[in-house]
Amino acid sequence: MPDTSSRILVPVGESSTFRNTVAYAVREARRIAAETGEESTVHFVYPVRWQLVDESERSAADAVADTLERARVWANDDLDYDDDGDLDAEDVSVSIETAVVGEDRYLFSPNDFAEVLLEYARDRGLDRIVLDPEYQPGGSAPMLQPLEFELARSGLVVEEAPVDRVVERGRLPSRANVSKALAMFGVSFGFYLLLAGVFDTFNLVTGAISAGVVTAVFARISFVNTPSVTGTVARIARFLLYVPYLLWEIVKANFSVAYIILHPDLPIDPEMQRYRAAIWGDLSVTTLANSITLTPGTLTVDMDRDSLIIHSLTGSARDGLAGGALERAVRFVFYGRSAARIPTPAERGTIASWTDDDQTDGDE
Amino acid sequence: MTPLEYLVVGLVLAGVFFSFVAVVGIIRLPDLYTRAHATSKSDTLGTVLSLGGIALLFGAEVSAVKTVLLLLFMLITNPTAAHAIARAAHDQGIEPWTTSDEEGD
Repeated sequence: MPDTSSRILVPVGESSTFRNTVAYAVREARRIAAETGEESTVHFVYPVRWQLVDESERSAADAVADTLERARVWANDDLDYDDDGDLDAEDVSVSIETAVVGEDRYLFSPNDFAEVLLEYARDRGLDRIVLDPEYQPGGSAPMLQPLEFELARSGLVVEEAPVDRVVERGRLPSRANVSKALAMFGVSFGFYLLLAGVFDTFNLVTGAISAGVVTAVFARISFVNTPSVTGTVARIARFLLYVPYLLWEIVKANFSVAYIILHPDLPIDPEMQRYRAAIWGDLSVTTLANSITLTPGTLTVDMDRDSLIIHSLTGSARDGLAGGALERAVRFVFYGRSAARIPTPAERGTIASWTDDDQTDGDE
Repeated sequence: MTPLEYLVVGLVLAGVFFSFVAVVGIIRLPDLYTRAHATSKSDTLGTVLSLGGIALLFGAEVSAVKTVLLLLFMLITNPTAAHAIARAAHDQGIEPWTTSDEEGD
């Protein structure tokens, strides 16, 4: 019976509803254990993504361990109480396991994530998957829906944790920490002083106050991951290499667009394309999307689940996009040099012309 | 005129040229999406070139730094704005113009 299955897999990652999802999974396990008298088990599994292959981001491994440890602590916390919040005297037989999967692989698409999760579930005989509704394994790129779809194809029971009817005693996880606050404060203070241009007492004091307010409000919003000094410096250095390349592309783009616009025949052949870029995460996708908009004859129209919808002005612009030079450059900036060696979108078959049929597929 | 002034004039003139191209593009191109190409690319470069010229004229001053910051924000926000407009149109279900539409006219 799927609904009463007591062997639960919960993929975990940092999210605002992570705490509540843990509570839900544990509550379900307890409920079933109480009903059936069998032992329940909840596995918290962290599929690690590409960051761990990046040598400069070894500390990400600690973050993963930290997240799993938190899940375990919360789960054990919840097991001490019953649904009314009273201490539960009876001994509940719910076991909690944590695991890291996918370390040996390069996880990118929802497919990849689903594959490692299902493999783990099969090995351990787990047959029910509880998903955090805010779960974002690929940075913050919208990935839950396709992941859920892939998981459901396996025949296991897949559900999103209904986190609005959550335990009230659980506080939302505070994801702010010292390095986020420091980074935020430093950036805003520096920017304030830059605009002020004068380093007198007045500016230093008002700047510190303003930066303090900004830090208090935005520190946990602006950074999804804890910024690491080496990772950020390397990224900025690579970004500085990227800027001249991008500027050159922009200049070329402008000459070709100027040629088209001023040409008496207006030689255009517009088309919409769907482009599944091998890039995940807010900042990197935004960088790619904006770069695409700025370069020859291509314009990012929409972000549709896992892919970009791109409007291209001419056939040669489409060829340029399919060549994947920009994608490689953005991967170089965010993931390092080794990640830049990737087949072109055309070779991977992740670019295709977009039609209205695409709007509905996969939504069953 | 000093060489610096020539450079400034050249940059501003180039900026004016690309801004002009953007305007011509808005008038000539057939639909919203294609027009967004003109505004997002030509307009960005036009503004950036003009601002670059202005920053050079300021020389080593705080104003120059501020102008460069302005320039960077233009580079970030202009494509984002074009994207927002194109996306709104896309959400409304506006079909992009294709070469087959031309034959129908």
